[in-house]
Amino acid sequence: MIDVLKELCLLNGISGREDAVREYIISKIKSFDDCKYYVDNLGNLIVEKKGKKRAKNKVMLDAHMDEVGFMITDIDPDGFLKFSCVGGIDPSVLPAQRVNVNGKVGAIGVKPVHLLEKSEKNKYDEIEKMYIDIGASSKEEAAKYVSPGDGCFFESDFVEFGDALVKSKALDDRLGCAILLDLLGTESEYDFVCTFSVQEEVGARGASVLCAQVEPDYAIVVETTTACDIDGVSHDKQVCRLSDGPVVSFMDRGAIYDREIYKTAFSIAKENGIPVQTKTLVAGGNNSSSILTSHKGVRTCAVSVPCRYLHSPACVINKNDIKPTVELIKLLVKKLCDD
Amino acid sequence: MKDLSDVTKILSALTSVAAVSGEEYKLFDAIGSFFEEKSERDALNSVIFETNGDAEVSFLLDAHIDQIGFVVTDITEGGFVKVGAVGGIDARTLCATDVMIHAEGGDVFGVVTSVPPHLSGKNEGEAAEVTDIMIDIGMDKDNAEKAVSRGDTVSFRYECRDLLNDRIVSPSLDNRAGAAVLIRVYQLLKSACPAAKVRYQFSSQEEAGMRGAKPASFGVKADEAIVVDVSFSTAPNVDKLHAGELGKGPMICISPVVEKSISDGLINVAKLNNIDFQTEICSGGTGTNADVISISGMGIKTGLVSVPLRNMHTFSEVIYKGDVELCAQLIAEYIKRRVCSDD
Repeated sequence: MIDVLKELCLLNGISGREDAVREYIISKIKSFDDCKYYVDNLGNLIVEKKGKKRAKNKVMLDAHMDEVGFMITDIDPDGFLKFSCVGGIDPSVLPAQRVNVNGKVGAIGVKPVHLLEKSEKNKYDEIEKMYIDIGASSKEEAAKYVSPGDGCFFESDFVEFGDALVKSKALDDRLGCAILLDLLGTESEYDFVCTFSVQEEVGARGASVLCAQVEPDYAIVVETTTACDIDGVSHDKQVCRLSDGPVVSFMDRGAIYDREIYKTAFSIAKENGIPVQTKTLVAGGNNSSSILTSHKGVRTCAVSVPCRYLHSPACVINKNDIKPTVELIKLLVKKLCDD
Repeated sequence: MKDLSDVTKILSALTSVAAVSGEEYKLFDAIGSFFEEKSERDALNSVIFETNGDAEVSFLLDAHIDQIGFVVTDITEGGFVKVGAVGGIDARTLCATDVMIHAEGGDVFGVVTSVPPHLSGKNEGEAAEVTDIMIDIGMDKDNAEKAVSRGDTVSFRYECRDLLNDRIVSPSLDNRAGAAVLIRVYQLLKSACPAAKVRYQFSSQEEAGMRGAKPASFGVKADEAIVVDVSFSTAPNVDKLHAGELGKGPMICISPVVEKSISDGLINVAKLNNIDFQTEICSGGTGTNADVISISGMGIKTGLVSVPLRNMHTFSEVIYKGDVELCAQLIAEYIKRRVCSDD
């Protein structure tokens, strides 16, 4: 799965520009005989997986295809690009960062530390003040390559390092996409539906139209979630920890999760010796916020892989967390289909 | 359009090796590959090549070859690596960046940790100090201690990439750009002015406080010295008052500590040869090796030429390769005029 994950992460797709990711996923699904798919009006990819048996309840698994990044908003007279963030990006991960716009490499400019006024030291510029330098010497020249509205991405490679860790951009949520692809490529006992959704990072918008189409009884959102398990951060604010297995949430900023599924997930994990953890802080949010209240309301749970430095060019996960996440999801799908 | 293929070759060789202050020897092979002369290495890791022409006037050209970075100071209970700054690091440019720890047993990849404001307790927009940051190498304490030791240097792990217009973005262009100028001067003079007597001095530890150039220049009997470094270029947040411009050619420094006759001579040569140039006025010291070379030993008449550079002291320093070529042409023409012409 790591090879697929790598290919997925290196594709560029900010919210609303998920085309490359969707095409890649479709190219994989085409080789699965027991899958049917279609693309809806917003660009969500909906895949029906045929199992050996018909399910009593319809279960929908969701992962989003988009990543955080930037949109070019203007070109200044000297050829520097102004930008806005697509999705929540903290200014602290931006100064000097490398980006890619239409295949051109750029860097986010920084006033040299030598020239900073006292009031500017150790203070991040507001994003409105930042700019991208692609080497253009004039507005006219930059305009040959870039237009306002173009998507722009972190330029960051995929690195396996340390004891089973991976660093890349866009692990949020290409890892979810890779997990869903893995499930679709494996023989299943019951039918289920996978959705690869658009526009999660700009307010879980793509997912809000899924359930009117799929009409699921249960939804499982497959995600990455913030892990802040580094020294100096108190236990509660660490939220969850790498290598402690999948994270099943009871509540975040966007959802109060179905209590029964939450408990079921934990008991399944316990029975099967799968490591599992929950979040120690009500923080973050994902497509559950839309799915939960869409259609006639959907009983929802979120299963996430812990991820450090989320929404940065260097997201970090532990490969050892992937397998138990897939196992837990498989067992949970079976249980919910059957219940 | 200038032919920039030689400059490109040199810059690509010099930026592909990391050499944080104190470990300049890592660059010796890359630099040496451009010289026919034997190198001389001094006690503080400066490396020197001399061409012994029969000219009466002799020159010292200096460029520092070290780069900013970090040094490993500690490993935490959780296996994260703590560091101190080597040189002027801007703490605002560190979160979620890729670094390489240059350990005894081989390079170790790491990511600088990044804690969002709602979990760090810091005020929104407030950056950490360098001593607050940690490097995530994905290991527990035991494994981390086996892989990494206190004193190992750390550099930013970013490649040199092409931008538009023969501009490039890379770490360490401060001062590999200057080192590239020296190599290019050597190439230009070899055929055009074999009589030139030049000491090409690639000095160490400039970023740690100009410590290498002073001993390297001690006792050197050069009639004139020219230091080549980088200087600030204009950008949206950097006004003209402090900066030159990318693509406008060498920045010739005029300063109380820089020899006026050399500044004037360089300007004169630039005009005679139609070489684009700009002046940089420093009312005190220059913050470069010119400050220490001029007062080393019994004193050396020293000039300063700089390559304009954006985003100084980050892993995304930007230069125009044509400025490097023009700096080299200017200095080569200056030396040629002093050595080879009769006027």
